[in-house]
Amino acid sequence: MIMRFRKIPFWSWLWFGLGVVYFLVPLLATLEFSLSMERDKIGLLAYQRAFEDKNFIETFTYSNLLAVATILASIVLIVPTAYWIRLRLPEARRIIEFITLLPFVVPAIILVFGLIRIYSSSLSVPFTEIEIFRPLTNTKFGTNILIVAGYMVLAMPYMYRSVDTGMRTVDVRTLTEAAQSLGANWFTIIVRVILPNIRSALLSGALLTFAIVVGEVILASFLGVDAFGPYLFLLGQHRAYEPAALTFVTFLLTWAAMGLIQLFTGGQGQTAGAH
Amino acid sequence: MTYLTLSNISKQFADSFAVEDFNLDIEKGEFVSFLGPSGCGKTTTLRMVAGFEIPTSGTITLGGKDITDNAPNQRNVGMIFQAYALFPNMTVSQNIGFGLRVRKEPETAVKERVQEMISLINLEKHADKYPYQLSGGQQQRVALARALANRPQVLLLDEPLSALDAKIRVSLRAEIRAIQKRLGITAIFVTHDQEEALSISDRIVVMYEGKVEQVGTPFEIYNFPKTQFVANFVGALNTADAEVTDTSKGLLAVNGVQFVSSEKMENLRKGDKVRVAIRPERLSFASELKKANVLDCTIENITFLGSVVRIQVKIGDTKFNMDTFNNPFLELPHIGDTTQITCSREAVLILESE
Repeated sequence: MIMRFRKIPFWSWLWFGLGVVYFLVPLLATLEFSLSMERDKIGLLAYQRAFEDKNFIETFTYSNLLAVATILASIVLIVPTAYWIRLRLPEARRIIEFITLLPFVVPAIILVFGLIRIYSSSLSVPFTEIEIFRPLTNTKFGTNILIVAGYMVLAMPYMYRSVDTGMRTVDVRTLTEAAQSLGANWFTIIVRVILPNIRSALLSGALLTFAIVVGEVILASFLGVDAFGPYLFLLGQHRAYEPAALTFVTFLLTWAAMGLIQLFTGGQGQTAGAH
Repeated sequence: MTYLTLSNISKQFADSFAVEDFNLDIEKGEFVSFLGPSGCGKTTTLRMVAGFEIPTSGTITLGGKDITDNAPNQRNVGMIFQAYALFPNMTVSQNIGFGLRVRKEPETAVKERVQEMISLINLEKHADKYPYQLSGGQQQRVALARALANRPQVLLLDEPLSALDAKIRVSLRAEIRAIQKRLGITAIFVTHDQEEALSISDRIVVMYEGKVEQVGTPFEIYNFPKTQFVANFVGALNTADAEVTDTSKGLLAVNGVQFVSSEKMENLRKGDKVRVAIRPERLSFASELKKANVLDCTIENITFLGSVVRIQVKIGDTKFNMDTFNNPFLELPHIGDTTQITCSREAVLILESE
């Protein structure tokens, strides 16, 4: 059998090559640097030191938990919102898209000061002493709620767009009507029909959220939580090789997550809505 | 006894009425088609029965219960869509069992019913396939099985064959009709394809601009159209302006050429202007058999349509189409020939004024 390959123009190769160089050179430089901790020797000492640090395990685990909480809370908030806008309120899409872009305009430092300003004092019913909620920043649990809420805002542009794009590939209206005619209520429709069919979009949004949360420094620093972002930042100020090693590990984790997305969505999920 | 009743149903969107004062009684087990061009309100009416649209006014009763304001998931109504609307994340079996599982029926009962439905649509070998692994026709059969699995009181079909190719469309419509008859289920079928409606229905509701033009059996709709729209929309038709010349003898003049009709003319007077209609297949060459109307004509054009040959003739100043069965052993006239054509007095219809 004769295999025919489409001839790819020179300029395509050139731009592709430049892109590869742009992305790979810094990464390879980081890898090379992280392996050079011992003089005149290539080794994994920086990785060993980084992993041995108790704070690494603690902050990394904590940030991962925060990321999972943020992803779950974002799905609960954004999927029904995007679904309802697509189904019943298409005229509201522009407003929602504008709101989802705000985190790009409002810096995280403003967000965190706003959160601290509002939630560091208790809220009472005006002219009474009836307390609606106590200062959230005073407790570990309250601070966790605040930081997850803040991360939800930061991740919103990515999560909303992923979910909205996912819903665009599915005939949401017809599937909803089909499910309704079979007796399904809204909860059943979202959980059993919509969510499984936007699985790949959800995973993309979740991955981006994960990357944002794990590397985030400002919210975590100002809210005073021991997250991975501030840890990496501090480590970078005192050490040279270990931050490079951890940065490379973070890249690998990201790629692993992308691989998982391919693995989970390479099958029938890709054909959602096709007919 | 009437099973599904739509009483004075109207649906208004902004300033215009999509459906206006729609009335229909459907018997249990009846197969009714809504036929009309795009935008005539047929799908909106169907969606009101399904509960996806709420009527602006009027009531819908099903099995004696008023369901006008019920949510779609609270009406026991099965729906089939043009785009199949199978759940892409579920296999054929899971799709069919979805409604039963939503109702929380016991798993053994669900499996039994799913098996029964899969046998009904002859897709036993495809039970574990996903929708994307099936052809369009197979997907629509699964959609039919899924809708029937819940034992709905009414089956609603919204142009279910439009996305399929011609051959599958014909075979699937026969299958749908056979299954509907076997189960004795009441069905409403929306289509803009007159052949589809004529071949499948017990009764047809012809709609135009949100209103019912005519309700009748396929035979009545085709042979005795009441309005110009029905006459034109259902089947090919010759229409012409005519003047009543003798009401007692049923005589009409089309551009000076005399026609005789069997239509009742008690409400007409000599000199009244009317619109007459003649189906092309009711006209034939006068050489074969002479009927009440024998008309001199000139052959204007001949179009070969396969089983039928359409011949355009000019009678006086008016052009008419005549359909004759293709017979390879009979010689057709030539363009420009003069000849005589004929039709019975029953073939000359007088249409209701608009």
